[in-house]
Amino acid sequence: MSRIVVVTSGKGGVGKTTTSAAFATGLALKGYKTAVIDFDVGLRNLDLIMGCERRVVYDFINVISGEANLKQALIKDKRSDNLFILPASQTRDKDALTQEGVEQVLKDLTDDGFDFIICDSPAGIERGAALAMYFADDAVIVTNPEVSSVRDSDRILGLLQSRTRKAERGESIREHLLITRYSPARVANGDMLAMEDILEILAVPLIGVIPESGSVLQASNSGVPVIIDKESTAGQAYDDFVRRFLGETVPHRFLEVEKKGLFKRLFGG
Amino acid sequence: MSEQIFDLKGEMSLLTVLVLHSTDMHAIGAALQAKQQQTSQFLARSPIIIDCQLLGESGLELEFTQLKMLLTQVGFVPVGLRNLWEAAEAAASEAGWALLRPSKQQVSQNTPPPTEVNLEVERPETVQRLVVLDRPVRSGQQVYCPYGDIVVLQHTSAGSELLAGGSVHVYGALRGRVLAGEQGDTQARIFCERLEAELIAIAGRYRLLDDIESNLKGQAVMIYLDQEKLKIVPI
Repeated sequence: MSRIVVVTSGKGGVGKTTTSAAFATGLALKGYKTAVIDFDVGLRNLDLIMGCERRVVYDFINVISGEANLKQALIKDKRSDNLFILPASQTRDKDALTQEGVEQVLKDLTDDGFDFIICDSPAGIERGAALAMYFADDAVIVTNPEVSSVRDSDRILGLLQSRTRKAERGESIREHLLITRYSPARVANGDMLAMEDILEILAVPLIGVIPESGSVLQASNSGVPVIIDKESTAGQAYDDFVRRFLGETVPHRFLEVEKKGLFKRLFGG
Repeated sequence: MSEQIFDLKGEMSLLTVLVLHSTDMHAIGAALQAKQQQTSQFLARSPIIIDCQLLGESGLELEFTQLKMLLTQVGFVPVGLRNLWEAAEAAASEAGWALLRPSKQQVSQNTPPPTEVNLEVERPETVQRLVVLDRPVRSGQQVYCPYGDIVVLQHTSAGSELLAGGSVHVYGALRGRVLAGEQGDTQARIFCERLEAELIAIAGRYRLLDDIESNLKGQAVMIYLDQEKLKIVPI
């Protein structure tokens, strides 16, 4: 049985696609057969972050509308034999996404023996986002340390409790909070919400905190998921996140201002 | 030695107001149907007042019998008309409509802003005396218990809404809107562990957080109605 995980946030630009790419890559590198699906029809991005944009022939919508089969549309990742990408359509309308179509694709992937299916949700709460979450077993809620992002995540958490198949069956989705673009220095200055404040408002188990890092942008632009970059703090934090998702107990890192900075701040340097 | 049979009181209750922009019955019917499909649960059996202010003289063109029928069809209970053009009043009365006295100030002071109808509606199917929630009430969620109390064992978020015919208890931070005594029960009370609400109301009397003394914010409080005034006391 595949485990279906939606990566969602409500707000745009908080790091859903970056997270989906890192998450799927991390799972695959740990030996799990993983598919990652881009639900953002019309604004296809996942293929860029995964570095497979020149290998897109068929897409998710082609599969749903019967113009291609799943095997033709799935792109095998160049770094891992366990990882497959199902890109969104850049030209079609999001109305082409149907619940029956999505269900069939997820069922086919399950029958194919995938361990994990990662659904990269578009921003907003419209059709694409609604369908990305509908069949999920788990949800990773990506939040930035700022009030509007937290408010939107709260809204999404409400939808996860009412607009999913699990909710309709009286079960509940496992919720995991992932805070991205966290900058301990800016938290210390009061520019950013602290992790504790976000947890207080959202009341969802924390699965990871990804520090703000230039390597994320660099990784996106070069089409290499940031989790591959073992030197970067963001890459290491994503690796911790994947391990926690798989059940390991891993302490949170990168939550404090670096020692030197703290020293300076305390003694008025 | 006769026992009192009833009290007759003049009171303001929380009502939905439909402000008409058009007298075209066909268009009104279609718009009501569309609204109902979006929010069927919420509108069911709600009393409603029709405001004809914007229509002015064209209020004469209204077909009052048909209007009543359209509203009943989508589940409203029509209560009456207000701000109707005077010359149209006879026809409205004939069709069985009550004519409400225009009371602009009272309305704006005592009635909370019209409830947003595009919220998620989450409410039980059957009539319940009590709703107990063990999960946070999230932004955009609405909990409605028209004939009973609401108890939330966690917090409520900014942008959420609790609507209870009776009292409301929140064992956590209260950050959203909360309306107790929604059917006009002035005995209803609100209790919370941390007052951070956007709006509080009992039996139609409301206050915004901005109006609340800052020393009560973040405190555990009880809110009740003393005559016409909302009282907030620490507990």
